[in-house]
Amino acid sequence: MSEIKMIRVGAASCGVAAGALPVLAMLKEKAGDIPVLEVGCLGHCYAEPLIEVVKKDGGSVMYGKVRADETSINNILTLAEAGRFEIPAGRKSKELVKVLRLAGRIVPTCWDDYIANGGYSALKKALAMTPQAVIDEVKKSGLRGRGGGGFPTGNKWGFLAAKTAPEKILICNADEGDPGAFMDRSLMESVPHQMLEGMLIAAYATGATKAFIYCRAEYPMAIKHLRIAIGQIYEHNYNDLNGRKIEIEIKEGAGAFVCGEETAMIHSLEGERGVPRFRPPFPTDSGWKGYPSMINNVETFGNVPLILSEGGDEYAKIGTAGGRGTKLFALAGDLRNPGLVEVPMGITLGEIVFDIGGADPDGVKAVQCGGPSGGCIPVELFNTPVDYDSLRSLGAIMGSGGMIVISKKRCMVETARYFLDFTHRESCGKCTFCRVGTTRMFETLERIVAGRGEESDLDLLESLGNKIRMGSLCGLGQTAPNPVLATLRYFRHEYLAHVRDHQCGALQCGALVDVKVDHDKCIKCKLCVKTCPVGAISADDIVVDNNKCTRCNSCIEVCPKKAISRVKKGEGVRK
Amino acid sequence: MSKIEFTLDGKTVVAEPGQTILQVARANGIDIPSLCYNDKISKTTSCFVCVVRDAKTGKFLPSCAACPAPGQVVEASSDAVKEMRRTAFELLLSEHTGDCEAPCTMACPAHASVEEYVRAGKNGDFMESLKIIKKRIPLPMSIGRVCPRFCEKDCRKNIFGQAVSINDFKRLAADMCYSEYLEETEPEKPYKVAIVGAGPAGLAAAYYLRMAGVKSVVFDQMGAAGGMLRYGIPEYRLPKHAVLDKELAHYTRLGIKFEFGKKLGDNLSLAELEAEYDAVVLALGCWKAGSMRCEGDDLAIQGIDYLRDISEADYKWTNPGKVIVVGGGNTAMDCLRTSVRLGSPDVVCFYRRTEAEMPAEKLEIAEAREEGVKFEFLVAPVRVSVGADGRKVLTCQRMALGEPDASGRRRPVPVPGSEFDTVADTIIAAIGQGAKMPSGIPVNKYGYPEVDEDNMQLGGKVFAAGDCVSGAATVVEAVAGGRRAALGVLGLLTGIKYKPERQVNVSRGHWASMAEKDVVFVSDKVSNSPRAKLPMIGLDERKTTFKEVAGTMRVETIRHEGERCIECSCTDKADCRLRSQAAKCGASPCAIKGGKLEVVYDTRHPVIIQDRGKCIKCGTCVKVCREVINKSLLSAKRRGFSTCVGTAFDKGLPLSCAECLACVTECPTGALDLKNK
Repeated sequence: MSEIKMIRVGAASCGVAAGALPVLAMLKEKAGDIPVLEVGCLGHCYAEPLIEVVKKDGGSVMYGKVRADETSINNILTLAEAGRFEIPAGRKSKELVKVLRLAGRIVPTCWDDYIANGGYSALKKALAMTPQAVIDEVKKSGLRGRGGGGFPTGNKWGFLAAKTAPEKILICNADEGDPGAFMDRSLMESVPHQMLEGMLIAAYATGATKAFIYCRAEYPMAIKHLRIAIGQIYEHNYNDLNGRKIEIEIKEGAGAFVCGEETAMIHSLEGERGVPRFRPPFPTDSGWKGYPSMINNVETFGNVPLILSEGGDEYAKIGTAGGRGTKLFALAGDLRNPGLVEVPMGITLGEIVFDIGGADPDGVKAVQCGGPSGGCIPVELFNTPVDYDSLRSLGAIMGSGGMIVISKKRCMVETARYFLDFTHRESCGKCTFCRVGTTRMFETLERIVAGRGEESDLDLLESLGNKIRMGSLCGLGQTAPNPVLATLRYFRHEYLAHVRDHQCGALQCGALVDVKVDHDKCIKCKLCVKTCPVGAISADDIVVDNNKCTRCNSCIEVCPKKAISRVKKGEGVRK
Repeated sequence: MSKIEFTLDGKTVVAEPGQTILQVARANGIDIPSLCYNDKISKTTSCFVCVVRDAKTGKFLPSCAACPAPGQVVEASSDAVKEMRRTAFELLLSEHTGDCEAPCTMACPAHASVEEYVRAGKNGDFMESLKIIKKRIPLPMSIGRVCPRFCEKDCRKNIFGQAVSINDFKRLAADMCYSEYLEETEPEKPYKVAIVGAGPAGLAAAYYLRMAGVKSVVFDQMGAAGGMLRYGIPEYRLPKHAVLDKELAHYTRLGIKFEFGKKLGDNLSLAELEAEYDAVVLALGCWKAGSMRCEGDDLAIQGIDYLRDISEADYKWTNPGKVIVVGGGNTAMDCLRTSVRLGSPDVVCFYRRTEAEMPAEKLEIAEAREEGVKFEFLVAPVRVSVGADGRKVLTCQRMALGEPDASGRRRPVPVPGSEFDTVADTIIAAIGQGAKMPSGIPVNKYGYPEVDEDNMQLGGKVFAAGDCVSGAATVVEAVAGGRRAALGVLGLLTGIKYKPERQVNVSRGHWASMAEKDVVFVSDKVSNSPRAKLPMIGLDERKTTFKEVAGTMRVETIRHEGERCIECSCTDKADCRLRSQAAKCGASPCAIKGGKLEVVYDTRHPVIIQDRGKCIKCGTCVKVCREVINKSLLSAKRRGFSTCVGTAFDKGLPLSCAECLACVTECPTGALDLKNK
């Protein structure tokens, strides 16, 4: 008989995208009576599809990048050495998995799994306390909003609890809009009950009468899992908060970035166009349909059961004065091991990027924190501890937890342009500074990367950027210039090289580079000539016509001798 | 709730509960601009031109939405606030499409309301047309004949072929209504002003002073008024008795006095004028001819002297024989064509560059050529001498075009060994004019006095305008300067220095850089017919008499020509708040450059025009329709820079909207407006 107890297949969206479903089907077919379970995400995106084989002796073995073929499946079923996956040592030692404790370990839609792992014990504990005691516990924990703002959660709860109104509204912000951020999705897909438990505790503590989950429609699996989980809560009457029943309604958002902004989200929930409004009144005074409303983020709610379970004081032992507890980060960009990680607040950027992410210590230039609303932090400052306050002091923000590693091969001007491309499109169009200002900044960056920039453009970017920050109603406009302002602060020399010398040091900006064949390395195989889509490489002497070349890199990629490369503008001219 | 005390611009003020900072500021006489604020609807907070600054936090707040907190210190007029507001306006202007004023109006040196007088002409109301014209052009009969038509050069209709024949509207309106039209003048003021020079600038100064109730005396060295209109521009372009005298008679009728035979520095003293009059305007013109600067150049006649002498002789002059005119400007053309009419058998123009560089009007060159004038290009005079037979000999050198010079035209360089002689009876030099300022008036290195460009003030009570300030230019430029001098004088007399009103003008661009599809029409009745032909007398008559070459167009022709006008200017230019407030805040439409939305001109509704390019996305229309009218016909669409206001499924506004027009009334710009101008 097999020594395998069960097989867990990571089948969250990330796993599915990497090809987990055919693997799952094949495993189910071949595994006989070994249970094959669809679980959530373990956070190792780079190793998906990822499979964990739990042995009857309690130990487990993981297999990474599994393919739906006989060999891979047989390896798994025979517990072969081949294809095994080990969590990198650096990550193992630096990670602190608390919120994601059950992710990838339980079947997300299985009530019993959650309950068996201590689920809803925190709710029970809370219901035995007074609402005020619950709030005090949250205050003690030092938990701050995980959506990016970092507002003390306990205080927010206190505001809503203090209101007397016929209806009080609790809203979960599950509109995770930052490109490259997937912390909330992963949590909702993998352990939907954890967030819901947090919401029920919040509803009890604040006296909320109705709850919404505002989730982007692009997260169908999260929505499906939440719907099932809510059904299970109703079924088990767990929405009965000491005699007061609360309904949880899911509202699917249409994918506007600005709807992550609380007043815009409330408008959207009301059926209005998702645009922010001037505050005050704050939502806790007048929110959804005029009722006091409070918005917390998915991850914030996800932390709540922990606080109740272990107590606020215990929770607060982790972290720094600038942030308590653990934080989820979506690691992406130029590093070996992209994925979802959970780390204690106060860990340094270097530990996340190098030890956990496995980025090349010599190859990293900076890290972009906080997505398109954040800023980049240069590698020189990587010993900065990660918390709300220290990141802000460097011109970045914690944001929701997107972290994009930028290698030395990337141009910072182009990076800033990339983020502005996103934000200027996502402006809701209401405030003049944000709507027109970000567009003008974007156009200026486009000019600079195209080699048509002037030195005065840098002043324009700086002055406009500062004005947009000060002259916008909501967080989108107030933070949109950050990527530009931060790169101007730390990488001004790159901007100057673009506008003064019309050079891109990273050789990334197509308009500022030439493509050249090194004839000492070239073996005249003419693969490049055949590959070039615009016929820019001469067949007789293998020379690139840089006036024709579109800098598509096809020749560089196809050359077997690595004889073709980007060079500084002017260096590729035929002598 | 109790009242809230806070500090606004250093003053302690009191707000009622619920009052916004904007409301408190206005109640306290502090002007804060605003576009999206409208007390009929819920708070919008979109335009951010109303920002104020919390002095303690340094934060900028939209004053239309922010309510003051007790003890708050708010700046509503600090430099930082002003800069922020200006940037908000400049951002809004940078995305704004349209033409506040029509390009013709912008091109007119006198800034006449061209589109308006063309429209009046189209409607057959020539009296109205003349009224509009005379607001800026005090010599419409003359200028209607001699203007080089700056307006037509910038006319959008050029994209489709030819400009609207704008100047002919002026000519017809003036010819038809001049004698019956007597303008209303302001009550007489107890000032007297002396004007030296009865040319276009002096006349304009006198006219606009008279309109404001100030009578003046115009002194002139010649025996009659008109300046270059009489002594420079030949009879065949501007008939002296039939037109000029009639036009000038009006000035006497208005009570403007003339004294002739008075020359400054000769029998007229500036010091005495200053002592006797409340202000003096010098409009001396450009009567100093430029020299050929070559050996024997005194054997040549100066072009302006030639024209003046012939005019003084009432165009009864002897045949000048073979004529060579050296020069390529309008004076040269006038000399050439006058010589043809005097019976010269051979009239040649010598010009040192090529035809492309000639400063003369293209039409003048063409008409001269039609009349038999010959042209020699790339030749420059070297010497004038007298031959054995007593005729004159002009020795010239061939030239080639070199590098462009300061004027941007290619500099002619001599071709060595290319000298040649030409024999002629009359040699005329028409190579530029300069000002002859009397001694004691400080001049710049070009010989022109330095005036304050705003009010043409030279210093003290002395003002100057016209060619003597600008150098030889056009009549319309001279009257513009004369009007400004009049306003400058009025400013001096009333103690409020005149400063031209700052205007913001957004433009869709010059027609030469536009595509046909970018030209939008409010009216669907714009005619595509070709430009009206100017009536002309026959060539034989042109060559042998001084009869006026071009005629006045007929009423029907002009009315039809008016149908060709696109009427480019904004329907809302008179009460657009973006325009007026941006101007007040010192914002410039070209300070921030960038792309604009594609032009979408929605004229489907019979009376309402919707122009997304003019929308500032404040959402006032959306809210007015919904919150005040209880309909929801409009809504915001799209995101980011493409945000716009539209109707459901883009079906357009229903006909019934014509009865309401609330959105049109409340729109701060011309994004929603009545089609009718």
